Amino acid sequence: MADMQERKIKDAQMRAQINQKLVETGERERLKELLRTRLVECGWRDQLKQYCKEVVKQKGLEHITVDDLVSEITPKGRALVPDNVKKELLQRIRTFLAQQSN
Amino acid sequence: MNCNGCQHLDEFKKEHGTEPYRIIYSHFIVCKSADARRRKANQCICYVCRLYAPRLHACMSCVYIGCYGRGHIHEHAYKKEHYLAIDVCYGVIHCFACQDYVYDKELEAIARASTPKLPLGVGIKMTFLEWEPSDQEIDLLRRNSKRRRVEERSTIGLRGLINLGNTCFMNCIVQALIHTPVLRDYFLADKHNCNIHMNLNNNNQCLVCELSQIFQEFYSGIQAPHIPYRLLHLVWTSARHLAGYEQQDAHEFLIAALDLLHQHCQATNGNVESGRPHHCNCIIDQIFTGGLQSDVTCKQCNNVSTTIDPIWDVSLDLGPASPATNGSHSSSLCSGYSNSPGNYDPTSLIDCLKRFTKPEHLGSSAKIKCSCCHSYQESTKQLTMKKLPIVACFHLKRFEHSTGYHKKIATYVSFPEELDMTPFMSSSRNNNNGYSLQVVQEAARSLSCENKYSLFAVVNHSGTIECGHYTCYVRQHKDQWFKCDDHLITKAMPQEVLNSEGYLLFYHKQILEYS
Repeated sequence: MADMQERKIKDAQMRAQINQKLVETGERERLKELLRTRLVECGWRDQLKQYCKEVVKQKGLEHITVDDLVSEITPKGRALVPDNVKKELLQRIRTFLAQQSN
Repeated sequence: MNCNGCQHLDEFKKEHGTEPYRIIYSHFIVCKSADARRRKANQCICYVCRLYAPRLHACMSCVYIGCYGRGHIHEHAYKKEHYLAIDVCYGVIHCFACQDYVYDKELEAIARASTPKLPLGVGIKMTFLEWEPSDQEIDLLRRNSKRRRVEERSTIGLRGLINLGNTCFMNCIVQALIHTPVLRDYFLADKHNCNIHMNLNNNNQCLVCELSQIFQEFYSGIQAPHIPYRLLHLVWTSARHLAGYEQQDAHEFLIAALDLLHQHCQATNGNVESGRPHHCNCIIDQIFTGGLQSDVTCKQCNNVSTTIDPIWDVSLDLGPASPATNGSHSSSLCSGYSNSPGNYDPTSLIDCLKRFTKPEHLGSSAKIKCSCCHSYQESTKQLTMKKLPIVACFHLKRFEHSTGYHKKIATYVSFPEELDMTPFMSSSRNNNNGYSLQVVQEAARSLSCENKYSLFAVVNHSGTIECGHYTCYVRQHKDQWFKCDDHLITKAMPQEVLNSEGYLLFYHKQILEYS
């Protein structure tokens, strides 16, 4: 039990450290831009945009909030990301970390 | 949902003005320097979780950053009655009283003003902004209410061309130019404002205007073939060596036409820099001009002397190695380059390009004086592409004009629908000091898309060198190909295009970057 807790804390700390490095070197911005480009290329953005429009139509323009939209489209968005995009970004992050430890 | 914020934001602005937003935005949302990034990295964490959690928000009334997912920023908002917070990623304002994001025109303008330099500092090219019509354009659209809907089966943009007497060489090049996407966009957007004066008979002498007119004809919806007599006349009067009713070489016509268009663009734009023919900013240069890098390495001291020449096309040798010919074409300034080391017959475009960029050992009869060690030494020369044009034209040299005989090389050369030019770029050479197979394999896994091209037109020559006929294939929508045989336009299968002989191959960059 305690081990799990400890592991979780360590993970979170590691994640924070990595994120700090990413922001400092500007790599986070570059990765975001790469991800944006890839998601536009594969049509993910257009698909989700269409889905957003549908959700707005359903709920009505006057009553919709950003939180509503986020909770509706997040699961779909996550599922629709193509595997090769995920692989590519993971590869980029790994390369970045390898460089950083040198 | 509007651009006028909410009453809470209004109250805040009345009390504190727009400074707090501007300060938070320019310090935390955009980072203009390495220092700013470091600060952001260290300080942008949720004050409760002490971690970088998703959807961090910065309170507008005090120094507090909380995450959205675990409700920490919500707690702060209700406890302190600070109802406004800014999303640290996007700079949008959340109002906890209204329980939604609110948008304010004035603050958005401040955000825009603080943002421009960000991407460049980190090495990202300009972000994409969607097109919005100007007032003038809206007015034009309203006044011209007729709309043409382009669907998958639309044939708009396709039209036959009448053969005016062995003018199939001209017709093919016209078809290829009409179907060049970036060129089509330029002319349909009416970007050419002509400055060339009419001649004595009050006929327009400008080839660019004539091309613009031909675009109008092709997109008019008229299905009967177009008779390009004005174009032919302009070509005859401007490029004398192409006049007459004999069959001409389509490649020569392409170079002559590009040259003329470039000259007429220059006359309009006024950038007449004599001696630097390819350095103006006209549409022809923007689309077709690439840079060919020639590296000569001295065998003695390894000093590399580099020159970069502008080119409009790449002429590739076929057949077995012949004595190295480094001449440019008869017409105009700078067209293709060719060299032919190697001792095998290429059967594909990639083979031709490999041979083209292979380092060539210049024999003892061609010693060059090295500028570094100041002696005549043998050297190796290598050609690579320094800069790729938006439209890359490959010319397969099928016509041999040796003394005494003219021959056509009709061997089949395969060419791909998608082409990656990475292994033939100068940057690949610099990493590998000469071309190698490994670079091709790496390119296949390349993450960058800058050097990827798609085929969009193929000009073919059928028959012999004395008696032949030009036809071409053009790409209409993404997967639809059409065969243009003068006035006859027929649908063609992609495989048919790829199986054709191939004389001039036109490739278009797949993804255009803003810079």
